[in-house]
Amino acid sequence: MGIIKAIIGGIGTTLRKPRLLIILYVVNAVFALVAALPFLVIVQGELGHSLLGSFVQPLDLMWIGEAVLEHQGSLAALLAGLAAAALVYLVLHVFLNGGIVGRLLDREGRATLPAFTADCGRYFWRFVRLFLVALVFYVLTLGVFMSLVSALFKPMTESAVTEWLPLILSNLHFLIALLLLSIVHMVVDYARIAVVADEERKILKALRHALTFLRKRFFRAWAIYLLIVALTVAGTVVFYAVLGIFGTPGVPQVAAGLVLMQIYVLFRIWVRTVFVAAQAEFYRAHPY
Amino acid sequence: MKNRIIGACLMLGAALVLLPVPATPGQTAASPSAGAPGLRYEIWVELDAAGKMLLGKEEIVWTNPTKDAVPDMLLHLYWNAFKNEDSAFLREARAETLFSRGDSPEDGEWGWVDVTDIRLADGSDLKPSLAFVTPDGPETEGDQTVARVLFPAPVQPGESVHLRIEFRSKVPRTVARSGYYRNSFFIGQWFPKPGVYEEGKGWNCHAYHQNSEFFADFADFVVHITVPRGFVVGSSGKPSETRVDESSGTTTTTYRQAMVHDFAWMADPRYLKVEQEFVADREVTPKEYEDTAALLGLPVDEVRLPNVKMILLIAPEHKGQSERHFRALRAAIKYYGLWYGPYPYETVTMVDPPFRTGSGGMEYPTLFTAGTSVLASRNVLSPEGVIVHEFGHGYWYGLAASNEFEAAWLDEGFNTYSTGQVLAVAYGAGSLGFSFKGWPIDWFLRIPKTFDFETNRVAAIATVEFDPVTAWSWKFYNGGSYGANVYMRAATLLSTLERLLGEPAWPRIMRTYHMRYRFRHPTKADFIGVVNEIAGKDMTWFFDELLDATRAFDYGVAGLSSIKVPRHLRGVYDTDGTRVEWTDKKIEESETLYRTTVVLRRYGEACIGGDARIKVLVRFKDGTTETRTWDGQARWTRLELIKPVEAESVQIDPEGVWLIDENLANNSRGVDGTRRNVVKLMSQLLFTIQCLLHFVGSWS
Repeated sequence: MGIIKAIIGGIGTTLRKPRLLIILYVVNAVFALVAALPFLVIVQGELGHSLLGSFVQPLDLMWIGEAVLEHQGSLAALLAGLAAAALVYLVLHVFLNGGIVGRLLDREGRATLPAFTADCGRYFWRFVRLFLVALVFYVLTLGVFMSLVSALFKPMTESAVTEWLPLILSNLHFLIALLLLSIVHMVVDYARIAVVADEERKILKALRHALTFLRKRFFRAWAIYLLIVALTVAGTVVFYAVLGIFGTPGVPQVAAGLVLMQIYVLFRIWVRTVFVAAQAEFYRAHPY
Repeated sequence: MKNRIIGACLMLGAALVLLPVPATPGQTAASPSAGAPGLRYEIWVELDAAGKMLLGKEEIVWTNPTKDAVPDMLLHLYWNAFKNEDSAFLREARAETLFSRGDSPEDGEWGWVDVTDIRLADGSDLKPSLAFVTPDGPETEGDQTVARVLFPAPVQPGESVHLRIEFRSKVPRTVARSGYYRNSFFIGQWFPKPGVYEEGKGWNCHAYHQNSEFFADFADFVVHITVPRGFVVGSSGKPSETRVDESSGTTTTTYRQAMVHDFAWMADPRYLKVEQEFVADREVTPKEYEDTAALLGLPVDEVRLPNVKMILLIAPEHKGQSERHFRALRAAIKYYGLWYGPYPYETVTMVDPPFRTGSGGMEYPTLFTAGTSVLASRNVLSPEGVIVHEFGHGYWYGLAASNEFEAAWLDEGFNTYSTGQVLAVAYGAGSLGFSFKGWPIDWFLRIPKTFDFETNRVAAIATVEFDPVTAWSWKFYNGGSYGANVYMRAATLLSTLERLLGEPAWPRIMRTYHMRYRFRHPTKADFIGVVNEIAGKDMTWFFDELLDATRAFDYGVAGLSSIKVPRHLRGVYDTDGTRVEWTDKKIEESETLYRTTVVLRRYGEACIGGDARIKVLVRFKDGTTETRTWDGQARWTRLELIKPVEAESVQIDPEGVWLIDENLANNSRGVDGTRRNVVKLMSQLLFTIQCLLHFVGSWS
């Protein structure tokens, strides 16, 4: 199967299952709303009655600086709360992954909430084990391999004559890290698909399926991955360009900006499902 | 009649006192052409590029300007700060909790200066008396950055002493402001330099501290710099003659500069030297001269600027940014010159700091270091900001040469304030300089643009509880408190004072202060004296309350209500001989009145003084406004207004005079609340959290 066909197939699958997107969007939005509540209390308390609330800009340094200073005592708690919320969301997403992959691989089935949650429950513990194994790979990639790359670059950086070489090496280091992470991420994606598609209960076996699959068609699989990353980047650029139009304060602009931001979140969620769907299409076209 | 005359005299007197005084013209006691009255240096220095050493000879002629008989001399040996970890500098660097200006050098990379010989011109050997001293107390016992030498006999008032010193210095590797990297050298604070003798007090000669800069007397310098052939040299002063020695493969250039208090130089074989002229008549229009003269109350001829030779030493990889450097320097020469006084030297040398020499963003008389990167965004005012700032130090430190050890705010604060003013008028607001992996973020995202006074203010309000602005440099809580106080808080206070006193008083204050203390060592008291003199009122409270104390300034609106009140209370009233009964119905039919109650609070400890008042602006729903003032002495006050219209909002300090106020959100209050931007901010925050969660989830 060609990579374009896989991506088009993935897009088609996600468009046929809009409820899946709605479920994921609602979970994301509700969770974010809860995490944002403490900040809302602060902003409302600070600006709810102040005229500053009429003209303060989202990145108004004058106000943000003041607010941070005034609430510096609780800032650590707020950020810790946000980090804890992110961790809980991570676990929640491990749960949701079962529903995402399960519903996307079930070509004929509908993405109803009961079917989705059933898949979530069915694959949860397998995906938890896979996540833990993936963590090891992420740590190895970032911690060990990238340290080796750093050690390789260090003598060149230290003896540089101008700032160009350290700049180039630093960017190269970052690029290598990104590419390596993308490969690990992709392997984990395919292992997750293998768990569902092959009804594999053993995680290491699922990983082996993924690796065997990728060994034969690594570059095509990676190209699918990178093309979808490119799609995300392109969408993000368009989003920020359009958002800039709504920069001036005013009720219609605020409302339009709010809607646009939510459309972008939905876009990101859609791209993520396209990711999985395209990889699933590609995997299914080449059975293990 | 007598009373009238007295009244008229009093009014005239008051008017004279209150009317802004013109900036005082022609108060410079000295100029570079006149030369320094009491100190002369001639230095011969050779750079051993391979051994990273300086070999130097120095002749110092010091004339005792005081009525004291001076038995000794204290010399700064700054590079001994990098000799070992027992120096005050490195001890303080290790103890620093926030911003360390220099880590300990690596093994083999220490720097130091050894005085190998010191004698009088008549040959008397002073070396036996040379000893390290710790003027800043026993806690820096191992410090060797100050040495004392005893004279055979005290130097009498008006008498001169002629010293001949030989020294050998090891150039440190990339530590605060000086150092080498490969074949690049930046040489600052490098030669044995006397402290400043203060009558009745002795030598003012502090150790080199982590959070401090320098203090020295004005002098005439002649410096002969010898470097390996092929090295490009940039230096304080004006090059006069160059001599090539084929046998030793060296080049020696002589630089001369009168009336400066320090001398720095750099050498790098890769560097490019570019020269341009600041042509005053091209940069400043006749109208700008006229407007400036009118504002300052001076004759036009007194604000005219001279031409200045601008020399840029720049790394080849930054060559494309040369014009950016020159444009910023032209703006700095123009506006500092117009506002504070003409630049008095013939040359200014701008050095793009050699890679990894740790020398960027530093000022020396007639020479300063800038700092840029190969990927520099045009929207971020860098290197412009650093160029304007470091050139500006030529005024605040270079000319009005305050003691940077004991009153760093007098140069850093004044110069941070002045930098913001120049950037605002020459460039407008600039983007914040965020970058990722060397790439300016504003190439990809729209970063909000800000003026310096806005960013300064955020730092200013963050730091008030730690230290007074006027603390001695090395006695601040940490590097963060030092920086935020002496740079940003001091600048914010000056901006506040500017808004408080307005034009033309403020520009005249700055001009007079600078010109009166040019080539001198002004103190806080000198500045307060000028402020009070020109403003025509006693502003000492401002400095006591906001610079010397650690009190937060925060006035705010605690409450606003506007409620309907009956014009009359029920019952029977005798009015103009008739008896009228006010019934509920009658009251309801009569004109509606509203009682608007405003509660103001002084949340902070700091208190305004003198004739300063907090302005209170109440807006009503029919568009009318009422203004009141509050003397701000009590912790709170309540204002009541009865009007036939409901209030809409109240705002204190509507013109934004009190920039130092640390909470602007509580400066206003609307009756109905203003939620539009709360929604906007929260939608942004919600979006950010949604994206963050999505990102986190994608790694599951």
